[in-house]
This record gives sequence, structure tokens and C-alpha cells, in this order.
Amino acid sequence: MDSEAVEEKSLEAFKNLLLQPEKDRIRQIENRLNDPMIRAKETSLFLPEAISFSVLNSNRLSRVIQPVMDASLKESVRNNPKSIADAIFPALGPGIRKAISSTVMGMVQSLNQLLNHSFSFQGIKWRFEAFRTGKQFAEIVLLHTLVYKVEQIFLIHNESGIVLDHVTAKDVVIQDPDLVSGMLTAIQDFVKDSFDIRDDLETLRIGSDRSVWIEKGKHALIAAVIRGNPPVDLRIRFRELLEEIHIKSGMALEKFEGDASSFSIFREQLKDGLGFQNRKVKQKLSPLLICLILAVLSLAGIWGYHTFRSHQIWNAYLDRLKAEKGLIILSAQKEKGVYQVFGLRDPMVDDPEALLQPEEKSRIKIRGHWTPFYSLDPELILPRSRQILNPPPSITLDLSQGILLASGQASRDWIDIFQKTAPTIPGVKGYSDQGVLNMDREKLDAALKEISEIKLYFENNSTRFIKAQEDIFNKLLETVQNIQELQIKAKIQVQIMILGHTDSSGTESLNQRLSRDRAELVFNHLIVHGINPYFLTISGIGTKIPLKSETGAEERQYNRAVSFKVFYPLGEKG
Amino acid sequence: MIKKKICLLGAFAVGKTSLVQRYVHSIFSEKYHTTVGVRIEKTQVRANDTDVDLIIWDLHGEDDFQHVRLSYLKGSSGCIYVADGTREKTLMTALNLKEIAENTIGEIPCVLVINKLDLKDQWEIDPLVLDDMKRNGMMIFQTSAKTGEVVQQAFQLLTRKMMEK
Ligand SMILES: Nc1nc2c(ncn2[C@@H]2O[C@H](COP(=O)(O)OP(=O)(O)OP(=O)(O)O)[C@@H](O)[C@H]2O)c(=O)[nH]1
Ligand SMILES: [Mg+2]
Repeated sequence: MDSEAVEEKSLEAFKNLLLQPEKDRIRQIENRLNDPMIRAKETSLFLPEAISFSVLNSNRLSRVIQPVMDASLKESVRNNPKSIADAIFPALGPGIRKAISSTVMGMVQSLNQLLNHSFSFQGIKWRFEAFRTGKQFAEIVLLHTLVYKVEQIFLIHNESGIVLDHVTAKDVVIQDPDLVSGMLTAIQDFVKDSFDIRDDLETLRIGSDRSVWIEKGKHALIAAVIRGNPPVDLRIRFRELLEEIHIKSGMALEKFEGDASSFSIFREQLKDGLGFQNRKVKQKLSPLLICLILAVLSLAGIWGYHTFRSHQIWNAYLDRLKAEKGLIILSAQKEKGVYQVFGLRDPMVDDPEALLQPEEKSRIKIRGHWTPFYSLDPELILPRSRQILNPPPSITLDLSQGILLASGQASRDWIDIFQKTAPTIPGVKGYSDQGVLNMDREKLDAALKEISEIKLYFENNSTRFIKAQEDIFNKLLETVQNIQELQIKAKIQVQIMILGHTDSSGTESLNQRLSRDRAELVFNHLIVHGINPYFLTISGIGTKIPLKSETGAEERQYNRAVSFKVFYPLGEKG
Repeated sequence: MIKKKICLLGAFAVGKTSLVQRYVHSIFSEKYHTTVGVRIEKTQVRANDTDVDLIIWDLHGEDDFQHVRLSYLKGSSGCIYVADGTREKTLMTALNLKEIAENTIGEIPCVLVINKLDLKDQWEIDPLVLDDMKRNGMMIFQTSAKTGEVVQQAFQLLTRKMMEK
């Protein structure tokens, strides 16, 4: 054995002696380190402490462990879904219930509105809008009817009722938020205590269209004062905001001591909640107003129609007036509801109002202001002449180039009127009565002719009438009376000379005397019967103008007579 | 701005509402309108160089038929217990309420107010009893909501105690 080896051996023995316990312990440690079972047992002893240290110092652990958790959760759900469901159900239950109830409420809300608007005029309009925009009808209805305004939002500390923050919409009159919030909290407490209900108060109604929506979290709540009819999902927005506030400021909420300044960081988000939706459609009109409008419209319609009709009648009437001869319209206008026409009117023209039908007269008030004038229209000259001259039916009047022509028969009187008046008639330039027969003159002439043919006969050498001459005598009287009247009418002075005749027997002087006696006898006879003597003259002419040449005894009798001769002391024309 | 909720507790008709009205609005009325539920008022106080908004909950009075609703006490930073000097029983009520309140929400700054000081000649409460209580650390004020005596001080001191806490 060499000494070195011996030395080594003894060193080894010494080492063993010296280090054996350490060696054993190292081996033990090695064993522990190599044996997973032992290490796991040991780790499990201080794992909770390790985790809690890790959590205290940083949140690295949770980050590191998260993927594992995710994976194991997935695995666990895959392997045994039921136990997971059982585990989380108590936590999810209330949340799900809440979500379902608000969804159902939203559905009911929209269904109500849908039904309300389905059959109205507005409903049809909105259907068209839905068609046009490609949106769902329900969506359009909600859009139009969910009119609301969030007036105020409170962020309130649950416990104390102290306002953490408060935002207000523009133009909203508010009361002290602290007082409102206090009362709100008190009311909630009151309701909860009094009615022994677990759920929180969610909505307060104030009046007919204002409500307070309360969304309650663990330490704080959001209360929104809302006017109108807001969509249900507004509540979800509040809840989300509340959750965020709890996540970010949960600590501050829990340890709240009255200093609310730190919660102003949520101011903008609260303000975002102050939404509103304006009604896009006009306010529904009340039936009364509709009736009123209809009444006004129909009145306007009636009035309009009436005005239109009146105007129509008026224009037609004016046209008729213009067409009328002898009317000249100077101006026409409507004044104070009355149609007024000013103009000139020939007296020959009938009342212009007669141009209106009775039916038209009842619709329109017309007043004519007519100044008389003579129209030179030929159509009017003739009637005017007729009116002025008033001719007898036997006379025809004509107008030819301004000359008034009279024809037919007329009395001397009328002829005189015609001659005097015709030239004065407006529009008459001249006149002619050449066609007019003087009837009085005609009759007079006839009578005169008659009388000149009458003869009364006497007995020989006597003033006694031969017999059977009564008829002749009557005729004579009648004719003389006639002439007496007609000469006045015809304005022609006539003298009737009673001529006494004798036959040629006897002396000249005797015959002269006898003839005068015979004439005188007739004269007296006429006077006795009422004839004016001034109009008669007597003359005995004996045999000077025999009525028949005496060729025999028979002819002589013809000369024993009285005849009549007419003459005109002032000429034949009177 | 710091906001603090305080509550007034006491038997009915001791003058809780009157004290608050005197303090907040400087008014007093002889007429008695019992408080139903709670009435909330707010006022600003300066204490310890800080402006504080006091949100004052004036609770309905405690009587045989109606007990104070304890949920109203939640979140209070201070309490004023009110008794009526002319009715000894109300002091007992106040002290009872104090105990109940502290059992519910814990110990918070408080003051005891014996009201109707203007009717001192009719008082049933022995001042010596009050002295004893003072020695035990209770803060007691004798006030009159009618004349306004000491009302201010009671509220002021409570506020300061709340701020110091
Ligand atoms: N003389 C006098 N009367 C007072 C005083 N304080 C209150 N009163 C009267 O006491 C009555 C009750 O006062 P309230 O303030 O209504 O009492 P309360 O404690 O609020 O009563 P509840 O609300 O019913 O609990 C009223 O008639 C008050 O006028 C006071 O200091 N002096
Ligand atoms: Mg009261």
C-alpha cells in the first residue's frame, strides 16, 4: 500500500466521520428534490402563504395563473357542466331574472306602441317610412314615440344618502340635490322596511309623466329623473356605468367619509346619460281642435266656393251688362261685400238688375248706380221714338239712316205731334210723314163727297118736299153732323153751301125766290136738328146751274131740288 | 366640499323639528306639526377651517306606537339626541335611543340636547343628573328652539367632533 493511498483512505474515513451526517442530509435533500410526491406535499404546506404574498406585492400571480384558470375552467365545463352550472346559478339567478324582466318589459312596451299605431294614419305613415328606410316597423314606431328627457342624474352614496355627484340637463329647474337625494334614500328605506321586500325600489312615479329610475349597486346608486317614456335599455346603460364606478372607486365608496370630490371623474359619463329624444312627429291634435280646424276649413271652403260663385256670377253679369245696348259701364268694383257698378243707362233700357236670375240674386249683392243718358244706338232710337210719339196701332215707325219714317193712318192730332216731336227725339236726324194718311181728312173728304151727292126734291112750284125722302134727309143730317165734327178734327175749315134749284118754268125772279126758300127750308131743318149755322150758307140759284138738262117733264123734277156744295174758306189744306 | 349626514333623535314633540328650523332657517313656530317619516334639511357650517355641508335628517319622534326607523341612521356621521326638559321621560327615551343607535351603526360623535330652556321653571329634569352625565363624557346642551339659546353651539360642536374624528 503506498502511503498516498493510505493517506487517501484515512482522509476518506475522516471525511466520512466528519461529513457523514451532512452527506446523509444532502442525500435526503436530493431525495426530497427528486421525489415529486414529497415536493408536492411540502409545497402544499406553504402555497397559501406564497399566494397571499404574491397578491400583496403585485398582481403578477393572477396574470400568470389566468391562462391556466381559463383552460381548466374550459376543461371543467367540458367534463362536468352540471356542477359548474349548479355552482354559478345562485350568482347568476338574480342577474338573469333582471335581464329577462327588463327585456320582457321592453317587448311589452314596444308591442303596446306597435298596436297603438298600427291602424292610425300615423301608423300608415310610419309603415311607409319603414319601407322607405328599410328599418323594421317596430323600430320606427319606437323611434317616434319614445319621447323622453333625462333631466337629472344623481350618483348617491347608498348608506348616507349623500350626493356623490349630480348632473342636470339644460333648462331644468332643480331643487337642492342633497335634499332630493336624502329624501330619495329615506323613501327607499321606508319602502323596504314597510313592505318588507327584498328587492330594491327601481322606479318612482311622479305625476303622470315623470319618474325616477333607481339603479342600485353595492355602495352607490344612480337615480335618474326622467320625463316621458324612455327606452328600457337606458337602464342597462345606467347599470353598466354603475358597475364601472364600483370597479374604479369601490374603495372610496366603501370608506366614504363625506368627501365627494373624487367622484367628479365620472361627471362626463353621467352627463352622457342625460339623453333625450325629441318627438319628431307633431303633437297629436285634440279631436276638438280637429273639429275646429275642419269647421274653419269647411267654412273657408264654403266661403271660398261662395266667393268663387259670386265672382263668377258677377263676371257673367258684367258681361251681360256690357252686351246690353244703352248701358255704358264706367266702373265696377267690390266694396264692403257689395258689388257696385257705376254707369250710364238709357231710359229705354230695362232695369239692369233684371238681367240677374232670381237664383243669382240670392247669392250676390249688387248695387247699380246709373246716370240716365240717351244712347244713339239705332236699336234704341226706334223704341225711344215709339215711347215718345205713342203712335196709334195703324202707324208703323221705321228708322232709316237716322230718318224716322211714319207710315199708315193717323189722326191729324197725332200727325201734328209727330211733326213737332220727331225732330227733337235724340238720335233722330229727320222725319217723314209722307206715308201717313190723315184719317180725319179722308173721312172728311168722304163725307164731303157724300154730301155733294145728296139731293132733296120738291113738288112743282112749291117748297114742299116730295114724299118718301125721309131716308135721304136722315142721311143728310148724319153727313152734315159728321162733317161738322171731322172738319174740327182735321183742322180744315169747311163751309157747306145749301143750293136751292128750280126748273126752268116760271119767271126768273119767281124761280130765284122759290129756290132760296127751298134752300132756307133745308137750312132751318138742319139747324133745328142741332147743326151749327155758322158752318152753313144758303144760296138760291134758280135755274142758273141746272142739275139736269131739261129734255122732258121727267128731267124737270130733278131741277126742283136742293143740293150741297162744299168749299174751303181758308183753302183746301185748312 | 365635505358633506356630513347627521340625525336628530328623540321622543315626540321634544322640539327636534323646531331645533332644526331654528338652526337652518332661524324661525320658530308654536304650532306643532308632528314629523311623519323624515324631513331633510341642509346647511353649511364652518368647522376646523373647513366648510361642511350638513345634511340634517330630522326624524319622526319616538313614541309608544312608533319606533324610530333604524335604517334612517345608516351613513350618519353624527347624532343629536333631544329631550324635553319639561318631561323627564323624554330624557330616558333619548338615552335609550342612543344605545339602540350605537348598537346598530356603532359609536359616532353625538350630543345630548335638553330643549325648552325657556320653560326652565317647569323642568322636571334635575340638573344634577345632567352634571353626572357630563362627568361621564357626554356632551349636553340646554337649548331653547323658541329663543334660539345655545342651539347654534350644539350643532357647531357636533360638527367639530365629526371633523376631528
Ligand atoms: N316653549 C318651547 N316650545 C318648544 C320648543 N321647541 C319646540 N317647542 C314646541 O314643542 C312642540 C313640538 O315641537 P316639534 O319641533 O314639532 O317637536 P318634534 O320633536 O319635531 O316632534 P315630532 O316630529 O312629533 O317628533 C311645538 O309646539 C313647538 O312649538 C322650545 O324650545 N320652547
Ligand atoms: Mg318633528
